[in-house]
Amino acid sequence: MNRPAMSATDEMRAKYEPVIGLEVHAQLKTKTKIFCPCATTFGASPNTQVCPVCLGLPGVLPVLNERAVEFAVMTGLAVGATIHPRSIFARKNYFYPDLPKGYQISQYDRPLCEGGGVDIYSDGEKKRIGLVRIHLEEDAGKSLHPEGKEGVSTTRVDLNRAGVPLIEIVSEPDIRSGAEAYAYLTKLKQIVVYLDVCDGNMEEGSLRCDANVSVRPRGQEKFGTKTEIKNLNSFRYVEKAIAYEIDRQIALIESGGRVVQETLLWDSARNVAETMRSKEEAHDYRYFPEPDLLPVDLEDHWVEGLRETLPELPDALRERLVREQGIPEYDAEVLTETRSLAAYYEEVATRSGQPKLASNWIMTEVNAVRNKTGDTIDSFPIRADRLGDLVGMVASGRVSGKIAKQLFELMLASPDGPEALVQKHGLLPIEDDAALRALALEVLAANPGPTAEFRAGKEKTFAFLVGQAMKQSRGRAHPEKLQAALRAVLGEAAS
Amino acid sequence: MSAPLVLESAEALAAAVAKGERSAADVTRAFLAQADRTAPILGTYLHRLAESALRDAEAIDRRRAKGETLGALAGVPVALKDNICVRGVPTTCGSKILEGYRPPYDAHVVERLRAADAVIVGKTNCDEFAMGSSTENSAYQVTKNPWNLECVPGGSSGGSAATVAACEVPLSLGSDTGGSVRQPAAFCGVYGLKPTYGAVSRYGLVAFASSLDQIGPFARSARDTALIHSALCGRDARDMTSRADARPIALDGLEKDLTGFRLGVPRAILDEAGAGLAPSIRAAFEAAISAFERAGATIVDVALPHARYAIATYYLVAPAEASSNLARYDGVRYGARRSEGDLRGMYEATRGAGFGREVKRRILLGTYALSAGYYDAYYLRAQKVRTLIRKDFLDALEVSDTLLLPITPTPAFKIAEKTDDPLAMYLSDIFSIPASLAGVPALSFPASFDASGLPIGLQLVGRPFDEATMLRVARAYEREHDAASRAPAIATAGGGGAR
Amino acid sequence: MPIDVSVVRKIAALARLRIEPSEEERYARELDGILGFVEQLQALDVSGIEPTSQVTAGERPALRPDEVCASDVRDEALAGAPERDGDYFKVPQVV
Ligand SMILES: [Mg+2]
Ligand SMILES: [Zn+2]
Repeated sequence: MNRPAMSATDEMRAKYEPVIGLEVHAQLKTKTKIFCPCATTFGASPNTQVCPVCLGLPGVLPVLNERAVEFAVMTGLAVGATIHPRSIFARKNYFYPDLPKGYQISQYDRPLCEGGGVDIYSDGEKKRIGLVRIHLEEDAGKSLHPEGKEGVSTTRVDLNRAGVPLIEIVSEPDIRSGAEAYAYLTKLKQIVVYLDVCDGNMEEGSLRCDANVSVRPRGQEKFGTKTEIKNLNSFRYVEKAIAYEIDRQIALIESGGRVVQETLLWDSARNVAETMRSKEEAHDYRYFPEPDLLPVDLEDHWVEGLRETLPELPDALRERLVREQGIPEYDAEVLTETRSLAAYYEEVATRSGQPKLASNWIMTEVNAVRNKTGDTIDSFPIRADRLGDLVGMVASGRVSGKIAKQLFELMLASPDGPEALVQKHGLLPIEDDAALRALALEVLAANPGPTAEFRAGKEKTFAFLVGQAMKQSRGRAHPEKLQAALRAVLGEAAS
Repeated sequence: MSAPLVLESAEALAAAVAKGERSAADVTRAFLAQADRTAPILGTYLHRLAESALRDAEAIDRRRAKGETLGALAGVPVALKDNICVRGVPTTCGSKILEGYRPPYDAHVVERLRAADAVIVGKTNCDEFAMGSSTENSAYQVTKNPWNLECVPGGSSGGSAATVAACEVPLSLGSDTGGSVRQPAAFCGVYGLKPTYGAVSRYGLVAFASSLDQIGPFARSARDTALIHSALCGRDARDMTSRADARPIALDGLEKDLTGFRLGVPRAILDEAGAGLAPSIRAAFEAAISAFERAGATIVDVALPHARYAIATYYLVAPAEASSNLARYDGVRYGARRSEGDLRGMYEATRGAGFGREVKRRILLGTYALSAGYYDAYYLRAQKVRTLIRKDFLDALEVSDTLLLPITPTPAFKIAEKTDDPLAMYLSDIFSIPASLAGVPALSFPASFDASGLPIGLQLVGRPFDEATMLRVARAYEREHDAASRAPAIATAGGGGAR
Repeated sequence: MPIDVSVVRKIAALARLRIEPSEEERYARELDGILGFVEQLQALDVSGIEPTSQVTAGERPALRPDEVCASDVRDEALAGAPERDGDYFKVPQVV
């Protein structure tokens, strides 16, 4: 059913508090599927990564992939969740063409992890978003609906993805806006990518999100009726869809209507959410313990061993950069976007001995180029050692900021270090008095008018003459010494 | 006179083939000829593999000629219940919904049989998806009891039991979920073993009720039963519930006598069958007890207080698991599809036309037991009772080494006698189901015959992974009685004769 | 709760099973009989008893190492499909 986007006014919005919980499915970066040894490579041609198990043939049995458990536990540890010593797989029964067995092997009342949370920034304020649980499950295949010319009505099924390991991360209803949802997703993605358990690629579906949205009058304890929005395959869509749904619910209630529990599908082309399933048609999944698998029993020392191997996580790394390099929170936030960017920064800072200057150069020059070229820091042509040297030269006054920018441009195209480029392109600063005096004479001769004006006492023209001289020297003239030379020459009696 | 080849034991045949005294091809030909004669009368097979069987046998002979040592089942023909997958060979589970289906892979037991140089000769008839006690639920044909063609062979592995009884093969495999190996074994006068849950890999066995299913062999002697079990048991990485604790059985160990052995007898369970228990069965049971006593065993009275709840428990647990296991038959990837409009129409038409009444009844029952609002009252409660039933067995097997129970309340019944009353059919599983729920090993062995000449079997139940002790007890009985060595007339009509 | 035709229809729909109207009455009767029989379990006190969803004795096997092992069943599997569209399984439109 199609619904016109009803919009709420600000004073309407002021009366209500949105309550949002997210269910995120993250695809684990294992080589093989969760219950069979098929490869998980994305984009393989249809039904090539299949075997009797993931095809759901009669007589086959699932065998749990050790690495999938490891990755799920690592994620749980990273968000401070409780890792249960025993968790149990359950069958979620429903019929769909891309669900080969007629049930999905998931976890129900005994998940792998419970609790924990992640910190986000909501307009400047630090805020904790709690987690309900993290559990392991298998992905379904892909149903493709070829562009239906009228009359042609078939579905094609590709089972390459069936059985790929997922973790489902369920948040508490702690989120209050689309923007907070966006921040939460960004943080989750950052964590799983830091852990290297998920590639975080939304286009390829390695991260998927469903949102549960409700609103309640401010100050009311009881939750309002919630709706679930599916098909949110980008962080921006999540933000948009949630904002849309909050407004729809508020406007609906304000106009005397009632929110009905239903599942909505986000249409990113038209920016509307449409009913997919109403509560009446809701599934009865008939969960029961999977008899073909054993309970997942985790030894304490095994879990602790994993904890040891966890990489430094974004929050810890950010705090360390602030502490050790003395750079502002904001810089640290930007520089810890990925592990390799942070590592790049640390090398530049150490090599140049200029933590803040290094940070400025990366946040402005380097990121500006990367935003244009789409380079990751690892593919960025100027490696940390060369940038470190450049920053060092700026700091020591070996080159002016202006020259440094020229060098930076040259370094993008050449493997040479900044010092070599200075030599090669004659970019050494002009500091020698005779050379500067000659330059000054040249400029005054070329500008008789302004020279006369200055001599007539028009001090303002001095800046103009300095500029002309700088230009003449292609920025290489030593500023103070140049000014001194000009004043000296100007001071001499006109002849 | 020397007995005809088809009456010989698998052990003797394998030894002869391994020594080169007989060729695998000759052995296979002899059994194929027997089946050519009797299988059409009995309806034992859904699919025979005469050509490939001979080819396999000849390959085995060539390998021997090259000086290779052959496996424990060298040249021994084996039949498989039609719910065990063989690559490229039709596997229907006795159901229309799998008509024309050929699995693209081999079951673990098939790999094991081939590794032991056995020769696979065909797929036997069974109740649809192993749901039944008479093989009358097969969508394809009725199988007859070799001892009386008017009687059922039992089920669900009726074809596998009958083909061994009729000497069409020395050995066969069935599957036992609530008695589907042991009950037909009793009806057909042969041995039927349900191994400990986890002793034999289920990989390639089409699932009925995953927490209960076990593949089990049929044979005509205790030693042959041990021989094939030893070839099949053990850990398989493709079945997480399979266990390395299952070890091969030393045949010599079966010859030890019973002095100092404690036989547990849960007499009270006989009353559970009430009037349903045939006098001939009770008599055979009592006679067996004294026989074991004479053989040196100490008789220990034991109780299985919760066994009475076994049928109710089983008919919640098994259908619940089945309703989920059979969801994959949706007409999408294999089997027979019926198209009707949209996807849902296809699903309902395909499953409606593909499944038989008994299967539909159990899918409905299981779906109900798992559905929202009933799970706790039915499925969960049944699982708790299951805990009590298992504990009963483990306690009884603390004070005794093996238990003796009947396996069926009556000998084989007449074809079509019980088809109209599902509950009555279910109730006849009273003696076989408890051991299934407990996951302990159980063996049905030929004990005697009733006045009408129908076989009577009794059941031994052992400790987890102690199949050896049950077989040793059965072997002791076998030494003193001829029930196991008799063959039905149809088996010998071809010129055989009792040994 | 007694099983009537409406319940049979409801669970048949859940299980995607076509039941002919002429059969509904009989299934209702049979299921009602069986469920009546299993009622005996309600008499048993199972408080504090752990459920048994599988019986596994003996040593626990290790999990599967994350190593790819390609399967060769694909062509056979597609060839056995009721309907295919190139390398895809083909089914009626989901509506
Ligand atoms: Mg999920
Ligand atoms: Zn696979």
